[in-house]
Amino acid sequence: MHTSLPQKTLSAAPKRKKWTKGDYAVFIILTLTALLILMPFYNAVVISLETNRAYALHPVSLYPAEFSLKNYQYLIDKGQLSIGFQNTILITISGTVLSMAASVMMAYAFSRKFPGKKLLFLLMMFTMFFSGGMIPTYLQMKALKLIDSRWGIILFVGVSTYNIVILKSGFEQTPVDLEDAAKIDGANDLVIFFRVMLPLQGPLLATFTLFTAVAYWNEWFWSMLLINSSGKMTLQTVLRSIVAEAAAAADVSTGEADLDVFSQGVKMAAVMMAMVPIMCFYPFLQKYFVKGVMVGSVKM
Amino acid sequence: MSSRLRRLGISIWQARYIYLLLIPGIVYFAVFHYAPMSGLVLAFKKYNAKLGIWGSQWVGMANFQRIFTTPAAVTAIRNTLEINFSRLLFQFPVPILLALLINEMRGTKIKRVYQTVYTFPHFLSWVVVSAIISNFFANNGMINTIIASTGGERISFLSNAALFRPLLYFTHNLKEMGWSSIIYIAAITAIDPTLYEAATMDGAGRLQQAWHVTLPCIRATIITLFILQVGRVMNSGFEQIFYMQNPSVKGVSEILDTYIYSITFNAVPSYGFSTAVGMFKSVINLIMLVSANYIIKLLGGNGLLG
Repeated sequence: MHTSLPQKTLSAAPKRKKWTKGDYAVFIILTLTALLILMPFYNAVVISLETNRAYALHPVSLYPAEFSLKNYQYLIDKGQLSIGFQNTILITISGTVLSMAASVMMAYAFSRKFPGKKLLFLLMMFTMFFSGGMIPTYLQMKALKLIDSRWGIILFVGVSTYNIVILKSGFEQTPVDLEDAAKIDGANDLVIFFRVMLPLQGPLLATFTLFTAVAYWNEWFWSMLLINSSGKMTLQTVLRSIVAEAAAAADVSTGEADLDVFSQGVKMAAVMMAMVPIMCFYPFLQKYFVKGVMVGSVKM
Repeated sequence: MSSRLRRLGISIWQARYIYLLLIPGIVYFAVFHYAPMSGLVLAFKKYNAKLGIWGSQWVGMANFQRIFTTPAAVTAIRNTLEINFSRLLFQFPVPILLALLINEMRGTKIKRVYQTVYTFPHFLSWVVVSAIISNFFANNGMINTIIASTGGERISFLSNAALFRPLLYFTHNLKEMGWSSIIYIAAITAIDPTLYEAATMDGAGRLQQAWHVTLPCIRATIITLFILQVGRVMNSGFEQIFYMQNPSVKGVSEILDTYIYSITFNAVPSYGFSTAVGMFKSVINLIMLVSANYIIKLLGGNGLLG
């Protein structure tokens, strides 16, 4: 462990210009790792943009031999995916607004002192590690008449104990003097919350708003359990059924070799379409998420 | 005594707006978490849809006894434990290693580009990632094409029972290692640089510094995340396995979550039994979490709750 690199390469002084053997080793390992992650995605993009024939001849190529948007065209014409998009956009927007509101208010409250705080906080934390499980939760949804309703997903999916804990430590890190100054001016807790605390936590709130939106966008399990009518299906359930159609064909045969190539292209095109919105938001997300995680790591 | 009550009353009144802010959250947790928890009584009952949860007949521990006399359930328990302890071994250290490597990397700009690449799969759903990975490892996929072009025999990765679990860990690492590494990178950036200077003076090389300075300094973060991971030892990542599972690998891939799903939706459902399996899972998780926390404390660590 200690002797695997020659002594000369081992200094960690960051200002040196010349790359040592160690630097190259690190660079090569990290580059290979990055390529390993990118290759499957790139491969999928290429397949989604190919024609049937090109794919049948060369299932793996570096670029589409015969460029075609037919797979995408097919999906758009079929309309199933666009229903999924509509429902998911609706659920994502309303769900993010509602659950962020509830989470932020709760997080702020938990960052203040009040009688009963410890007990309530413990009760909240407990749900992170112990739950009623699938069937009692499903039966509760049924009792609330949330079966086959988009509200079930909107109300249930977005609030996360973990997010509340991190938001809470974010609020705890804001300077006390600001709050004191506001209190002297006669502001009550609500005014302080809306006028002082929320604006201060802009970046953190942006981070968690985006995390919550991603959670709604990617939600699959409860939409699969709760939604029955095809008009209310979410993006991920539609996507899953498109992908599973092809997979079922593969199950019947011994391998995937004689799988309908067209469906493979459609499958990858569907996956790409579901990815695109996330990829559009990702640059904004990335700007903030390190901060979000760091606040979390301080208090965890 | 009465003055104490008075003071409590005053501090409650002073916090009235705080309670107001808590209401939506409390309602949420009460309705969607604690009410279902009361539904756990189903585990001790034989569910009858007409009579509802509370009207159904009590059966004592029969549902739990049935877990251990049902071979499929026992297999699911064993698979869950095997997969999860392997996850601790093959998944938990990977983001730490990645963080150490990224920390050693030269060039700020390229570092940022790489981190973007490592992190983005975290934000994609398992439906997306598993579809892409299945395509990648398919019989006519990229990996097999490379194997075939170098004269090797094509391998059916996806339906090979021996390769299913390694594929599971590999895919999970591909999706999550970048994201998980961020928290370690954050911890590493907080390390006092003079420690490295001192180590360099003592003649410590790069690897020695990583081993003797960086790792001990991020120990607290590692321990916290480890305890949390142990607390999830019965949750093996339902979605990932559900999507990647197929009949030929059922024997090694059926975990408690997929088992609960299949007995609830694919056969004649027995809600009482399904609930019992779920509860068994939750209880083991809680026991694991508490004991991991306790052991770490015994060893002189800080534990989860300080």
